[in-house]
Amino acid sequence: MNESLSKEELLRYSRHLLLPEVDVAGQLRIKNSSVLVVGAGGLGSPVILYLAAAGVGKIGIVDFDSVDSSNLQRQIIYVNDDVSKSKTAQAAQKAIALNPEIQVVGHNERLTSKNALEIISQYDLVIDGSDNFGTRYLVNDACVFLGKTNVYGSIYRFEGQASVFCKKDGPCYRCLFPDPPPPDAVPNCAEAGVLGVVAGVIGCIQATEALKLIVGIGESLSGRLMLYDVLSMKFDSLPIPKDPNCPVCGVSPRIVKLEDTEVACAAAVEVAHLIAPADLSAQLKAGKPILLLDVRSPHEVAQGKLKNSTNIPLQELHGRINELERNACIVTYCRSGMRSMQALEVLVQNGFKNVRSLDGGIMRWTEDALSIETSS
Amino acid sequence: MLVKIPSPLRSYTKNQSEVQANGSTVTEILADLDKQYPGIRFRMIDELNAIRQHIKIYVDHTQIKDTDVQLNGQEVIYIICALSGG
Repeated sequence: MNESLSKEELLRYSRHLLLPEVDVAGQLRIKNSSVLVVGAGGLGSPVILYLAAAGVGKIGIVDFDSVDSSNLQRQIIYVNDDVSKSKTAQAAQKAIALNPEIQVVGHNERLTSKNALEIISQYDLVIDGSDNFGTRYLVNDACVFLGKTNVYGSIYRFEGQASVFCKKDGPCYRCLFPDPPPPDAVPNCAEAGVLGVVAGVIGCIQATEALKLIVGIGESLSGRLMLYDVLSMKFDSLPIPKDPNCPVCGVSPRIVKLEDTEVACAAAVEVAHLIAPADLSAQLKAGKPILLLDVRSPHEVAQGKLKNSTNIPLQELHGRINELERNACIVTYCRSGMRSMQALEVLVQNGFKNVRSLDGGIMRWTEDALSIETSS
Repeated sequence: MLVKIPSPLRSYTKNQSEVQANGSTVTEILADLDKQYPGIRFRMIDELNAIRQHIKIYVDHTQIKDTDVQLNGQEVIYIICALSGG
């Protein structure tokens, strides 16, 4: 426990110290605090940088991924030379370069039901900047069990959300959304895109809420969901009531230990089979009756598709599933193979027995010099 | 009546984040939305006519669980969708 600020720290944090609401006592609270940032991506980038700049004494970063060039459009903690390197290592390096007085701990692993409690218990506060529902529910449940506050943010295309969950007597994420959506219901940013700066806005709101909670000032977003709509440039704030029937923090919770939502999805994928472009091409040439199900958007289909394919965009698949013959041999495909795998899961869950997903999607199909057509 | 549409459903509304719909209950508003933007209701309401788990509907600033709630015509309807991106 630090009880004073050095001469260098008094200068470095002078703009904080000028705020009577912060002052030396508040800055000491920041210095003595520890924050875990889950996900060093679009949200995690500004969060880590601002918390480091603010002087948070210990910042933990959980991420198992490496930097990809497609991250650089919004993950501003990384530079071009970081591509292919570990996110936790590179993010920690940037944070320390910004503020050598702080401690940064990289947890270069995927957060799972096995390690979540052990990792999260080492910190005062958690910031959820993850990019998938499985991790979001895991973080929420772990925070409920450990009594840790979770500063939440999420983004999609031109929209962002932020809140504070699991604060004393406040609602948790499951009070708002009790269970994860089915795999096809809400596409992620990798499929649908996101305006990079949205991550900056929401990440900065998360960092702001974290600092307010640490210093103990202002009114937090606990019990409120902040909505940010980029195109209309409007912020809305809607109340989130604490749900007495919440499955994890309610009066009679049904969730009493951590579960890996992603594992359940992965298991469903394992029963599915991929088909290589060359194999599919050979089967089609041999005259095998195969329904080619293109699950991309009509806009993508217009740029080229497999001959005689049927287009049902992934988002519409649930509502149009009866258009498909359940006993047909179906091969789903999309641009790269991700959405087609989700479509396959939807079909399998709905009783389709003979479904496969085109490995690598239409991208690999064309790389393998197989033909596509640009009009029906 | 003004209805705010979340990003994941804007493919139905030609990317509009705010649309107009008519009705004296939220049920009627959703039916009118579906008439204007076919398929959008099924993304919010399941086969048992319940609001889907990852969707929340607010009338002004009050979260509703039953779409039969009566409206006076002046409210703003917010449709909220769980987002995972980060």
